[in-house]
Amino acid sequence: MNAISPHTSAPRTASAGAAVSLDRLGSVVAVLIGVALFVAPFVTYRANRIVAGEARMVLDALPMTLAIGVMAAALGVALVSVTIRQPIIRLVAAALGLAVIFVAVGRAPAFLTPPGNTFARISPAFGFWLLTLAFALLVADSITRLRLGPFARLGAFAVAAAALALLLVSGAWDGLSLLKEYATRADSFWREARQHVFLALGSLAAAALVGLPLGMVCYRVPRVKAAILQILNIIQTIPSIALFGLLMVPLSILSAKVPLAASLGIHGIGAAPAFVALFLYSLLPVVANTVVGLEQVPASVIDAARGMGLSTRQRLWQVELPLAFPIILTGIRIVLVQNLGLATVAALIGGGGFGTFVFQGIGQTAIDLVLLGAIPTVALSFMAAVILDAAIDLAKGPVRD
Amino acid sequence: MRPSISQRVRSVIEIQSLTKRFGDTVVVDDISLTVDEGTISVFVGTSGAGKSTLLRMINRLIEPTSGRVLIDGQDTMAIPEDDLRHRIGYVIQGYGLFPHRTVSENIATVPRLLGWDKKRIAARVEELLDLFQLDSGEFARKYPHELSGGQQQRVGVARALAAKPALLLMDEPFGALDPVIRHKAQDDLLAIQRRLGTTIMLVTHDMDEAFHLGDKIAVMDQARLLQYATPAELLTRPAEEFVEKLVGTAERPFRLLALGKVREAVEPGAATGKPVSASATLREALSQLLWMGREKLPVVDADGTPLGRISIGGILAHGRQPA
Repeated sequence: MNAISPHTSAPRTASAGAAVSLDRLGSVVAVLIGVALFVAPFVTYRANRIVAGEARMVLDALPMTLAIGVMAAALGVALVSVTIRQPIIRLVAAALGLAVIFVAVGRAPAFLTPPGNTFARISPAFGFWLLTLAFALLVADSITRLRLGPFARLGAFAVAAAALALLLVSGAWDGLSLLKEYATRADSFWREARQHVFLALGSLAAAALVGLPLGMVCYRVPRVKAAILQILNIIQTIPSIALFGLLMVPLSILSAKVPLAASLGIHGIGAAPAFVALFLYSLLPVVANTVVGLEQVPASVIDAARGMGLSTRQRLWQVELPLAFPIILTGIRIVLVQNLGLATVAALIGGGGFGTFVFQGIGQTAIDLVLLGAIPTVALSFMAAVILDAAIDLAKGPVRD
Repeated sequence: MRPSISQRVRSVIEIQSLTKRFGDTVVVDDISLTVDEGTISVFVGTSGAGKSTLLRMINRLIEPTSGRVLIDGQDTMAIPEDDLRHRIGYVIQGYGLFPHRTVSENIATVPRLLGWDKKRIAARVEELLDLFQLDSGEFARKYPHELSGGQQQRVGVARALAAKPALLLMDEPFGALDPVIRHKAQDDLLAIQRRLGTTIMLVTHDMDEAFHLGDKIAVMDQARLLQYATPAELLTRPAEEFVEKLVGTAERPFRLLALGKVREAVEPGAATGKPVSASATLREALSQLLWMGREKLPVVDADGTPLGRISIGGILAHGRQPA
């Protein structure tokens, strides 16, 4: 961040006599935009969903006026990013740029597909993704520089999510390859989505239920702390596939010996081992952050609380936990983002979730199917990060410096 | 105007053979003393002398190994420890204000634990903010990190006094303040103590603070109580060499003068110049005489009535070692 700070570089460049001082991040963004427009293809055209595609540059991918509009908009953003420093202007320009290319890419299929052809697939290509990256970088940087509060950040995120939802619901993207892939699997998509969220959130809830009390025990009984954290650390180092394997045996035995377990759907493969593995991975961040959070409560505050006659329980609920909460929430954030990603692997052992599409897609060399699993996973993680970051800021509240 | 503030609730604290051992180390060694009601007792000594441990055994933050503490004749071991602490104010060096709670919520801590109703708590908080010269409109809703050190200190003491304790324990309550603010805070505490009549036990390692605040001073060294006496006695009849050293031999006459009032050294006769108040300390009077280059100055009482005069010779007689 320092490298692009205008405070350190601007005065020196100016005194050196340069007429225009270039913004470094802005320059990078401009170069990315240039490459995206003039070197990289905007969309890929494939005769069907598994053959190799043919690249189409912007000018070949869209109707002439729209293509010129996209080029003009992208170059405009590049110009703004290089010459203008006010973050609010850069933010608006980049957001407009995103809106233009997102709408435009939805028009490519109708323009490129021969009439009556239902097999042809049009998907966004490297140039499109590069433009998205460049604009998103500018958006992220502007938002950081604006130092928006938690509510403003949530608001900005809600606007972006609503715009994206509108594009999806309106049918503007229905011609794109990814949406065609979705259309043929709409039912299983939502089923896997529910499964994915259940795996990630359910294991987090279980980890919080076990990890918070465990963290409090570690805090109160220092001798237990080292042992518990050591065990959780070791679990964290086991690769997920290996952990699934390790869990298969005990869970199969449990399922075979205890009818209730079997009737609850607990088997050696499937959702149960995935859930348990995610739960085990979640424990370390939850427990460790609970301990750190409680330990950083100032000794003088605890001494004063005791001296005023707060009982052990009152101290915990009124003083220690509220003061540890932001750090505990940071642990929850780590776990949630980690679980949303890791839950993808559950599909390997029949646990369901978005990973199902990813592994099917890899099997069929159908990249669209892989993306159908991967993009929602990334979107979910991103959403979880934004929401929990805002929540952490709010939890810090008055104590924030 | 302030009926509840002029509460005259006081306590006598009797400490009987109080001892604390951690393993083989004796931290407090068989200490007995009585703190009279409505007075300030200051505990001084080098660090590690056991002052804080002694203080923390009064409200049972540390359990004594042997011996007992009686408050108004009642053994503290007979009172559940949380109840005991609700009745004893406690102020520590860093104050330990709750960073997630506002000034008024901090002050309301013990009344809330005691289950006072909201109106009574609000009235009490208002009263204390007023007493400590913190404008409630400005400060009630602030958080501790928004306050200066001096303001935090006042909130810390206000919080300790919230439930009208008869006894206030203070462990280095001014230690984190710079010298200018510290002196003002000590004066404020004295004024409030005189008004409320609260019995105070205060730990410090600052000798000036001890002489400034203490009705009685307890000197401790290596877990033992060397002397527990009035400031004047400590100066004129130190029990051991250590006490003499701690009091500071070079400072002795000046400390003694600071304890005496002009009223005690008034001589008949007249003098010219700016009059000295009868309630000023002899040290202040001497300083004024020296500064103005005079042998004597007239003395007046609070309403300006002339009482006589004060002379350098008369003052010096009060700073001399007693025969």
